[in-house]
Amino acid sequence: MISYNLYTYLAVAGALLCFGLYGLMQHRSLIGMLISTELILNGAGLNFMAFNRFLAPDPAIGQVFALFIMGLAAAEAAIAVSLIFAVYRKYHTSDPERVNDLRG
Amino acid sequence: MELVFILICGGLAAIASLLVIFARSTLHSALWMVVSFFMVAVIYVLLHAQFLAMLQIIVYAGAIMMFILYAIMMLNLRREQDEKVPVRNSKIFGLVALVVLFMELVMVALQHGVEAIHGPITDQLVQAHGRVAVLSNFLFSDYLLPFEVASILLTAGVVGAVVLAKRTK
Repeated sequence: MISYNLYTYLAVAGALLCFGLYGLMQHRSLIGMLISTELILNGAGLNFMAFNRFLAPDPAIGQVFALFIMGLAAAEAAIAVSLIFAVYRKYHTSDPERVNDLRG
Repeated sequence: MELVFILICGGLAAIASLLVIFARSTLHSALWMVVSFFMVAVIYVLLHAQFLAMLQIIVYAGAIMMFILYAIMMLNLRREQDEKVPVRNSKIFGLVALVVLFMELVMVALQHGVEAIHGPITDQLVQAHGRVAVLSNFLFSDYLLPFEVASILLTAGVVGAVVLAKRTK
């Protein structure tokens, strides 16, 4: 029964990963891609937490990794948003397919 | 009982993330993302990680979504998003790849069980000291170097964000 629960958590985490990857591929704005990246990171954190609950050598060791993922996601969001601002100021668009000029 | 709650919260999280992908405007997908974050926080509570559930709500649903909503409102993206976009081939191929990847993950998880190795810290110890105490003990002893590196990264991120977003003329 316990492993059955583990697989349910893993399926949810896998679903988050797959939806995030698909969103990353098909979104037509840079901010949408950033949101999809957050979805992927969320799935990764959920995966760590599920293994932490059921299979970790020490309980709470996976929480350390989930904590680091959260910190990295925060730093990444800050950098990505300011990059999107910089790109928008230069190209006046947030469509990644129209940002195709190397020299600017 | 736990399984019922996982299925409800996991299903809601999956539905919310589907709506994130297929929402018409970026603003709507950001708001559905908040729903998804809250559902993942509930799943963290089910996994006995109350501290991380609170952090999930504060950091993800609070700070990161505030960043993103601020960016959306500042860039005024709705104008571009409302244009009709024809269904491209890449969308269909992407959907097929998505389904195949998910089935592959499920098959691998179901066919190869994972063995657990037990370390020195037991559930009784966690019950006695509390989960946050055990977590911070790990964080400030075994994982001190990654912790400091993460703090340097956050500082560099803040400085980099200010430098990038500053108007240079």
